[in-house]
Amino acid sequence: MVRQFMSNPFREDLVSRSRPEACTVVIFGATGDLTHRKLIPALYNLAIDGELPPGVKIIGFARRGKSDEVFREGLKDLNREVSRNGHDEEIWNDFENTVEYHQSEFQDSDGYRRLADRLEAIDLERGGKGNRLFYIASAPEYFDDILEHLKAAGLNESKDGCWSRVIVEKPFGTDLPSAQHLNEVVNQTFEEKDTYRIDHYLGKETAQNIMVLRFANAIFEPLWNSKYIKQVQITCSEHLGMEGGRGGYYDKAGALRDMVQNHLLQLLSLVAMEPPTDLSADGVRDEKVKVIRSLRQWDTPELVAENVVRAQYSAGHVHGKSVVGYREEDRVDPESMTETYVALRCMVDTWRWSGVPFYIRMGKRLPKKATEISVHFRSAPNVLFNAIPGDKDEGNVLVIRIQPDEGISLRMVSKLPGTTLRLEPVKMDFHYSTSFGKASPEAYERLLLDAMAGDATLFARRDEVEEAWKFIDHIHRAWHQSDAEKEPDMAEFVAGSWGPEEADSLLEKDGNTWRRL
Amino acid sequence: MVSDNAMSLGIKVPVEKIERELRQLWEVDDARTNASLINLAVYSEAKGALATNSDMIREITREHSCRALLIGLDKNIEETSVRAWITAHCHLAHGQKSVCCEQIAFHLTGHSTGRFRNTIFAHLQSDLPLIFWWQGNLSDMFSESLYRRIDRLVIDSSGWDDVIVQFTRINEAIRQVNLVVQDLAWTRTYHFRLAIASLYDDLIAAESLKNVSKVKIITNPKHFASGLQLLAWFAEMSGWKRTQDLISDQEDSGSYRFCTREGNIVDAELTLEENSAPIGKIEVISGGVTVCVSREAGGKHLHHQLICDEHVIDIHGPADGDSSAELLADQLSRGGKNSLFKKILPTFFGMLEL
Repeated sequence: MVRQFMSNPFREDLVSRSRPEACTVVIFGATGDLTHRKLIPALYNLAIDGELPPGVKIIGFARRGKSDEVFREGLKDLNREVSRNGHDEEIWNDFENTVEYHQSEFQDSDGYRRLADRLEAIDLERGGKGNRLFYIASAPEYFDDILEHLKAAGLNESKDGCWSRVIVEKPFGTDLPSAQHLNEVVNQTFEEKDTYRIDHYLGKETAQNIMVLRFANAIFEPLWNSKYIKQVQITCSEHLGMEGGRGGYYDKAGALRDMVQNHLLQLLSLVAMEPPTDLSADGVRDEKVKVIRSLRQWDTPELVAENVVRAQYSAGHVHGKSVVGYREEDRVDPESMTETYVALRCMVDTWRWSGVPFYIRMGKRLPKKATEISVHFRSAPNVLFNAIPGDKDEGNVLVIRIQPDEGISLRMVSKLPGTTLRLEPVKMDFHYSTSFGKASPEAYERLLLDAMAGDATLFARRDEVEEAWKFIDHIHRAWHQSDAEKEPDMAEFVAGSWGPEEADSLLEKDGNTWRRL
Repeated sequence: MVSDNAMSLGIKVPVEKIERELRQLWEVDDARTNASLINLAVYSEAKGALATNSDMIREITREHSCRALLIGLDKNIEETSVRAWITAHCHLAHGQKSVCCEQIAFHLTGHSTGRFRNTIFAHLQSDLPLIFWWQGNLSDMFSESLYRRIDRLVIDSSGWDDVIVQFTRINEAIRQVNLVVQDLAWTRTYHFRLAIASLYDDLIAAESLKNVSKVKIITNPKHFASGLQLLAWFAEMSGWKRTQDLISDQEDSGSYRFCTREGNIVDAELTLEENSAPIGKIEVISGGVTVCVSREAGGKHLHHQLICDEHVIDIHGPADGDSSAELLADQLSRGGKNSLFKKILPTFFGMLEL
């Protein structure tokens, strides 16, 4: 990649990562929770770690009338609460001087012209370097307006060797047509190389470690195929329901579109991808998109009914407390047909994965919060120890825990101490928190730095997003088609349990069971 | 003698029963998790060092799980003896789980390099790398048969009596066994280097680099090596070559002359000031552009400045820790083979006239 800036010899060997460049970060939706709880603390933590390039300016763009001082005060209050590195007054004072507030409606052309003037003044102050990073953290209905106005104001253009990039938050569309439309709008405004679709799961330490585990260790890759792997399970379980008014958004989205289309298919692609030719953004993303493209399409209601289970939770108990059913939740339609639980059987039709089912399940109001990937290896031949009557076949399972309690474990079979030959599964366990006392950076820290450095490896590319929507849309269409009689059933399960029986049956057909978390 | 503070070393155990006693330590409470990613040996010939180092290990194990081996040697006592203590440092990891690291402390007397080596190597956890922190001057116990088995040697050249003599031995070890050396004096310069690198991201600063005429570094006399390493790094990364030095007539300063890629001459001055922070300042002057990173004595922040007429950057950033425990923890966090340090060593050794 040709660098547009002068080389800085002092950066060499200092950190093994692309170099972030000074820029102005403009956050649309600056009065929202994401800005206050995630983005500003992430930028502040980069500053306190000495990683934020000097000259970075932050402009909060939002509709409410506020002065710079009031805006900063609000950010400071929350930073004190949530910052990973604590709150250092001296560093904050310098940091907050880089933060300004820009009041404008998202549809107001004049607001963008004023923004352009403001950015130019900042560029002059910085010495003429006009890199811009636009972060669209507003509600999705404003995405089009913001992008079109940025273009009209000429803010999308890269001038004089500088760059102009955009980060777009999820949801990136609600189906394939809307994602394609959004991609069109984005790409009419910004080139694909300057577009960063954020999926914070990819910024998580454990998600990044999947590739390291697979490709930096010699022992796994030879076994990483259908000859040795029987099945893969990806589970994202949440104990929360619709607290804090989340029902309004969730009832429109549902588990499939809220989590599976993005986060969980991204995890699946990291597990199933071929080794990339290099670690460049496109090298990695080329391989990931091949996986999504290779997913067998469940494109008829019958196939969806056979391979996908949707469900809602009914009243039950979670963590010892009584909770209401989904349809009784605040801001949820009492006749809602939105799934809070989904289990899928995916088939990756490649040479490597032929015949290996990838099961994905995601649910609200399950017994505990956990996201993990488990790779289940085939059993050893039924001779010698495995031929002993009464001993259960316990294959090896490699578990990658994404959150919480990040780590990796490997289940294997061992002899029970004693004079008789009894076998039991044992677990080798690696916990990040035990081995590395230092807290990992927040996903947003890594991702913001990468965007400033022009490294899109951990961001979703247009074709990845669209291929994922294509797969998801077939399922969604089957669920909500006009002929209600053909619609696959909506199952039900008691809140606090591990999901509906139908989800268990989905695996039993293949002779498998869900891993107990 | 071991200091009165020997209580902090834990339970006194017979050397031949150390591993068994450690197992028993864990059997007492199975709610704890024993963790280790490295073998961390800490060697000192200073009196009372075992207790001090035990306290230091308690801090380091908050972030770095290890099996710690503390070795205190008293060469003034002729009679050879070994005494050992075991303990575990436990911390609540992320507010959830009690994670513990084993520590074995040895107090040796007499003079026997073989016994010293064997004591260490008999108690390493297998398959884990050995990080060996040699405190103070390198003595005759620092032998090839020891450093050949070390994965990373940690030193702090700031505490050395004679930097040239000591680095001559280090240089020899590097040549002999390609030893990976991590000098805490170098770690001490990390945030200064990061600040300089950040300031040179600025286009005006970057442009000015080819016109540098003067570099001034101020350090505390004890941290002369850090200052010189910082200068060696700046020169090496800028692609400068040493040329005939100016002769300094002042005892508290050293002057060095470099030639840039463009053929310009750069004069560098390293001044030692008693009241300075370990590294007090680095100032780079190129025509009308001044890049300066400074730290007040006792200050917790670095002051980053870029001044070019009205174009000014003036911000604060984090400073490096001062204590050895903080520096070692930082160094362990960064891991790696320290290739940058290796890269600047020839220039650094050249300035030391090794």
